[in-house]
Amino acid sequence: MVNIITSTPIADNGAATQMIDKHYLLSDVEVAKFITYGYHMVELDLPASFHEQIAQQLDGLQSNPGDAITETIPELWQILEHPAVVGALTSLLGHNYRVNSHRHWHCKEPDSPYMHWHQDSTNNRSTQIDRFLGLYYPRTITPDMGPTIIVPGTQFRNAPTDRMATYTNIRGQLPLNVKAGTVAFTHYDLWHGTGANRSSVRRHMIKFLFNRTQPNSAPTWNHDPDALNKVRDWNLRDKAEDVNNILTFVNPIGVSQSDHYKETAIRRRCWAELRGES
Amino acid sequence: MDSDTQQRQRLLYLHARTPSVFSTILGYTLIEPVRGYQTEISASEFEWPYKTVHDAIVDGWQVVQFPHLQAPFDDKDLDVVGYEFILQKIQSYPSAT
Repeated sequence: MVNIITSTPIADNGAATQMIDKHYLLSDVEVAKFITYGYHMVELDLPASFHEQIAQQLDGLQSNPGDAITETIPELWQILEHPAVVGALTSLLGHNYRVNSHRHWHCKEPDSPYMHWHQDSTNNRSTQIDRFLGLYYPRTITPDMGPTIIVPGTQFRNAPTDRMATYTNIRGQLPLNVKAGTVAFTHYDLWHGTGANRSSVRRHMIKFLFNRTQPNSAPTWNHDPDALNKVRDWNLRDKAEDVNNILTFVNPIGVSQSDHYKETAIRRRCWAELRGES
Repeated sequence: MDSDTQQRQRLLYLHARTPSVFSTILGYTLIEPVRGYQTEISASEFEWPYKTVHDAIVDGWQVVQFPHLQAPFDDKDLDVVGYEFILQKIQSYPSAT
């Protein structure tokens, strides 16, 4: 049986009500992992030729259209309207989420250097998940192409970008060497940078921004009310695949006990907010 | 030392899990004192040369700055990753580099 629910992403080209398959909503474990690691990856089941066609259009651009990239390449709306994308956004930003009018073509040219670690915007971090990014890669990314690199678990840190200048390699850093057609949803405050592009090709990524429009009054993903009731497993610890153990034990960077206690408390506040408890 | 060589300072920034030199390193930046040198985030698996600050000391690095611990204590907020040690090694380099 296919469960259909109604979600209403508000796009800047007009409101569009979409019927989405409940199958595409995230599970409790996936939501807990997003809270903990700060990212969620989706590989879209669109034809390879579709992604390559977008990549070839990007290859041919002589200037950056900025926010108008979706007018230049209207096929990008099919990414935003894909049920797996709508399902992830609905799960994490609630019904009536907004596709922000800001979006950007990030083209990393051949022979361009790496980009240093940074958090976007100013340092005013929050436990709430009110906005995040969707990074779409139309071509398969290899390490020599200058992939986006993220540091899972850093999304709750109030760290001015200037203070990151003496970091280069950080334990747990994750290069997004992904397959063509991947969308990486990343927490807005996740530390990120890029590798250097030493290949002979342009590395394309389209960045989209999404916003919550209202606080949750109930979970908007495939939620089991008993999800948090599993007892802590002191043997499996971070290897246990359930919400309680993920929120409690996972330590992606291997930070100190003090920091880990703090981030565990923040995760639980975030989980409660998503469940509509506050 | 002949005039074709210089004594130069190699720098190593290590971000350790705690202020202890025996705790695990979470961040690593090596600065080589040669013209045009650039650091770079690895887009592949990074091989950590040292597990702890102590390992680096055993390899001849000298600590020139210990982590600042005077920052206001906050039991709720999180800021940077780890505690920063800055180390140096003085080595001879060809003057032309």
